[in-house]
Amino acid sequence: MTKQITNIRIGIYLCDCDGKVSKKVDLNSVKVAIQSKAEFEYIRAVEVACTKAERELIVAEIDKYSLNRLLVAGCSDPFIVRQFLQLADDKGINRYNVEFVDLSAAESVGAAVSAVDTALNRLHLRAEVGYEELAVIPDVLVIGAGSEAAAAAKAIAKNQPVVQIDNVGTRVIGLDGFPGAFTVRLLENGQTVKKDFGAIVLALGAVPQYDKSKYGGVELGADVLSLSQFINAGKDYAGKKVGFALGKADEDSLLSFAAVLKAALDLKEKGASEVSIIYEDMKICADGLEQEYERARKKGVNFLKYTGEFQITRFASGIAFMYREPFLADPAKIVADYIVLAEDFVPAAGTLELAEIFDIRTGPGGFFQKDNVHFLPIRSNRAGIFFVGSCHGPIHGTDLYNEIEAVLAEVSAFAKGKVSVPSLQPKVEAEKCAVCLTCYRCCPHHAIEIVHGEEYNNMYFSAARMNPLACQRCGVCAAECPGKAIQLPLYSDQEILFEVQQPARIVAYACENSGFLASEFAKTLDPELQKDLQIVEVPCSGKIDIIYLLKALENGADGVMLCVCHKENCKFVWGNDRAEQRKVRAQQILNQVGLGERIDFVHVAANQGNQFNTAVKAMAEKIRQSGTNPGKVVK
Amino acid sequence: MIVAEGKPVEKILEMLAPYKKVLIAGCRGCVTVCLTGGEKEVGILASQIRMARSKDGNPIEILEQTEERQCDAEYNAKFLENVGKVDAIVSLACGIGIQYLGEKYPLTPIYPGVNTLMLGANIDVGRWEERCFACGDCVLDKTGGICPIARCSKSLLNGPCGGSQFGKCEVSAPAKEDIPCGWQLIYDRLSALGQLDKMSEIIPAKNWLRAKGPRTYVREDLTLDRS
Repeated sequence: MTKQITNIRIGIYLCDCDGKVSKKVDLNSVKVAIQSKAEFEYIRAVEVACTKAERELIVAEIDKYSLNRLLVAGCSDPFIVRQFLQLADDKGINRYNVEFVDLSAAESVGAAVSAVDTALNRLHLRAEVGYEELAVIPDVLVIGAGSEAAAAAKAIAKNQPVVQIDNVGTRVIGLDGFPGAFTVRLLENGQTVKKDFGAIVLALGAVPQYDKSKYGGVELGADVLSLSQFINAGKDYAGKKVGFALGKADEDSLLSFAAVLKAALDLKEKGASEVSIIYEDMKICADGLEQEYERARKKGVNFLKYTGEFQITRFASGIAFMYREPFLADPAKIVADYIVLAEDFVPAAGTLELAEIFDIRTGPGGFFQKDNVHFLPIRSNRAGIFFVGSCHGPIHGTDLYNEIEAVLAEVSAFAKGKVSVPSLQPKVEAEKCAVCLTCYRCCPHHAIEIVHGEEYNNMYFSAARMNPLACQRCGVCAAECPGKAIQLPLYSDQEILFEVQQPARIVAYACENSGFLASEFAKTLDPELQKDLQIVEVPCSGKIDIIYLLKALENGADGVMLCVCHKENCKFVWGNDRAEQRKVRAQQILNQVGLGERIDFVHVAANQGNQFNTAVKAMAEKIRQSGTNPGKVVK
Repeated sequence: MIVAEGKPVEKILEMLAPYKKVLIAGCRGCVTVCLTGGEKEVGILASQIRMARSKDGNPIEILEQTEERQCDAEYNAKFLENVGKVDAIVSLACGIGIQYLGEKYPLTPIYPGVNTLMLGANIDVGRWEERCFACGDCVLDKTGGICPIARCSKSLLNGPCGGSQFGKCEVSAPAKEDIPCGWQLIYDRLSALGQLDKMSEIIPAKNWLRAKGPRTYVREDLTLDRS
């Protein structure tokens, strides 16, 4: 558990970055100003803090002054950040108790002092982050019957126990628990059994499906085969002519292209008299595919580009593709003994049912995972449940092995039966918890449980608890809690509201996955615009509490912005939707008492610095029209 | 649970017009659970009122405090210190809590910050539906576990009436969304239970005296003799 520590001993290092900072700001004056007002244990101005000699000196000073929190003000080089975090780790200082301030942007002593002061206050307010040692079950459940599941199971089995089920004979009917300790309910020979696993890997694959509407209604038959029929039949085509058609089905993946190239080479090797592939665009952008293509050309496979529609027509001499070549006036014709047509891939049976049981959602085409740029390919919205292979959209060979490697890295964290994690999940003050289930229902990651016991100091002897392995630290729960019982470490209400005690004219609460990054970019594009703007970083827009919006205004801001990820592209599933709902209510609250339009909700991606600045200008224009905020409360 | 909704702020501002320093009192019971009167809403209302009064050039000081339940005197005692500092109280508890907190501090005016709506269930985040009327004479045994008093617009004991259309109640039209016909629900449930014969049992007229207040409930076996 975290607790507010009282014995805070902060060491401040003001680094001149080899003279860069003192070009604009006199570090000694900054030091004197800080010394006169702030609470800390030790302060020193340094010429270059990242030299070995300086590091050794700082290590000695940490011991001499018993420092337990560090503030390093200088440049913002990620290398320096890593170096100081390492130094902190080595000296037993919690790395969450190290703050960095970028002085390179400071234009005056005042600005530098205020930046250092803010960081100092943050260090004072910050609750101690402990580490938790957790027992986990190393066993992994792999679900799927095909080659993808087998490959995943085989790879994982090198490190830890694996159970593979096909989800047909033995079926998943329920899931409880958290990563490291899932309980899966299975239907096995008509009996319900419970088995415990640390992690679950879904590898159901995808199945081919012939859709005749994509080929002008052509039915499959003896000489018209679907690609999967052709591959599975494995017949001898020596001396025969075979024509493949690509591009009408399975347009988005490389699976059909890879399969057709492989089949064409195979046919050539086994003596087929003529192998032709008609295509609209040849998709070979994966490791090895272009080489296969080159090899096929060398072996004499015909590659023929078509445009628009093609017909499949029967002649006495065989069956033919009638198609239009992009550069020839007359229609072209390929006659063959067999023609083979690419198929679409659809999710394997049971995909939707499993998505519902695990609450992991499906996306385009009914495959697992929503279409969201922030989701890593193998990760679901629930920690500990992973996707491998075509169950989350058809994928091709090398990608499969990359995915297996990635899943292996994830699940092998549990192989030793225990993990140590920083206790950064939200903390619940049981005394304030009404056990209302709001957080439980709003959590996008199934990371919350209700626990009971004498230690929970409320009338229910119960409280919500966030699982450290399942929680992804979006803070949605904290922002939704009607009892204000939940605080997210490093982003507590106290810490965030402190930042807007004396707000700038415009306060922008910005998601660190999008709006915050866009604001950093925006600064470089139009520094002038940033004068009246204050950015408050949040881990997800879902953390932006209504009270944050109101307090910024109450404390004197004229306008508030929420800078959030694009719609349906929240890293935490629905954080940006919750933020939008809160924005609507907050604006209603202002309208009810006649305070005017003062809140803007902006969807912005990390690389949209210009759009960010446009939004800031729009906000400035809006508050110019609404006038100075008359609701500012003079203390 | 008791379900309440926030009162329109203009009404609250009207009530508070004469005062310069007030306490907004939240409750950690039902109104926290129905997202109307917990610590969070206390903070939001306080901020809104402060801004509104600043705008009108008539600033107000607001204290915020939330305790376990306003329907118990012991918890209400915890407001003592803050009540002593203010001219008036706004309570965000249900109607019970508002009155009971007021009884504790009879010399300080107390005002309602919410409208108490119903006894309802929390269907999902942000949605509540009425389930009980507290009529004092439960008939759920006869109606498949679905209350005709709370869920039929006419509280009919022997329904449905002619206004039941395609499973919906005829009073639905002006409402935002269709109201399911309570007696259709009862019919469907009895049908599923194989107890449809109960539909033909006449439920005798109800003793509405039990639903009429002021009601008091005393358990002689539990009352304490404090003499």
